[in-house]
Amino acid sequence: MAMTQVEKDLVQEQAADTSYDVYEIFVQASDLDPHVHVGSVLAPSPEWALQLARENFLRRAEAVNVWAVRREDVHATPADPDWFAREFDRKYRDVSGYADNARRWKRFKAQAMNIDDVIADVRKE
Amino acid sequence: MPEARMEAFMARIQRGEKVEAHDWMPEDYRLLLLRLIHMHAVSEIMGAYPEKEWVPKAPTLRRKMSLMAKVQDEIGHGQLLLRVAEDLAAPLGRNRIELMDDVITGRIKFHNVFHMEAPTWADAGIIGWLVDGAAIITQTALLDCSYAPYARVLKRICAEESFHMQHGESIILSLAEGESWQREMLQDALNRWWEAIMFFFGPPIVTDAARRMMEYRIRSRTNEELRQKFLTRYVPRIRSIGLEIPDSAIRFDEDAGLWRYTEPDWERWSRVVRDNTGPKSQERVALRRMAHQDQAWVREALVRARTAAAI
Repeated sequence: MAMTQVEKDLVQEQAADTSYDVYEIFVQASDLDPHVHVGSVLAPSPEWALQLARENFLRRAEAVNVWAVRREDVHATPADPDWFAREFDRKYRDVSGYADNARRWKRFKAQAMNIDDVIADVRKE
Repeated sequence: MPEARMEAFMARIQRGEKVEAHDWMPEDYRLLLLRLIHMHAVSEIMGAYPEKEWVPKAPTLRRKMSLMAKVQDEIGHGQLLLRVAEDLAAPLGRNRIELMDDVITGRIKFHNVFHMEAPTWADAGIIGWLVDGAAIITQTALLDCSYAPYARVLKRICAEESFHMQHGESIILSLAEGESWQREMLQDALNRWWEAIMFFFGPPIVTDAARRMMEYRIRSRTNEELRQKFLTRYVPRIRSIGLEIPDSAIRFDEDAGLWRYTEPDWERWSRVVRDNTGPKSQERVALRRMAHQDQAWVREALVRARTAAAI
């Protein structure tokens, strides 16, 4: 069956090396926030990846910086869940491991501290 | 060995774990997802066409700007979804150019509602309110999808759809608060769109593909469940602004706890989607083809610039 001109053009373009690269996009919402992965774009160059990132991810959200990283340059952990295994209880590393402090302070008629109070206090003029 | 892999995959799904692009997945799972997401992506892009027709004709500057923002969102959603689709398609040797060409050659379908005419401003309102409302219900039902890249993109899409929901309501509220000719225009638009919206959710029978998608936890609700949710949310609101639903059979059956309604003409609407024979199908596919061809030199220039930079 004869191809139409449109079909010929499509075949030609598909045969040409017009494959773009995938760039993973990281957006930094404010100077005090880390860059956060938001998704990816398909682009012919890093400059275009950044332009497309703005079009795709920053139509509303505010940001101060964007990273575009070629997907091949991202090193990720294996899919193996054992890599993230928790062999034993790690409560001793967390605030929740010290929940009894508040009760014990009460005996001394004083209060346990928490970091938010400290921050608020230090900020206070 | 292949059975063991399949069993392990299904066990992961049953445990509620999520699948990533590079994980092993059954071919059937990949193909079902690809078809769903490819059609979703293309429908976002083709869905921008009926609305973009109203950008130059919007009644006020504010409406023009908000409609333009919405059209940009739809194209943006199309791009996010195409990224998800092309990662699924890559092992099959297919790339984005091919996925987009499928629209022009008619190998991929897009939602029935985007084959329709939008002759008045009230149609733009009904699209924003009810067509988007229906789409939001189907999309939120996919937020727990077992395929994580799709679920992540849907989260972003749904966040933006909340603006679309308000935008559509704002247009129809203005018309409902207006003069009698505006309310008549709104009623006429509802009459034009109702059957298409009922069809949008798909047939009540659970097809084999739908059943498999539910087993794979790609989706968790049937077409009929979603249509019922839509009716429960929207019928009272449609009536509250004095509009009449153009279906004399519509009523809530208290005993069954279900909405009864006249079924859309499944056969006729299926033909519209399958053969691109709706009132605007050919015109919109032609616009898509024109956009694709007219920008070919840009795509070529971008690649050449990269090649030149590498030398």
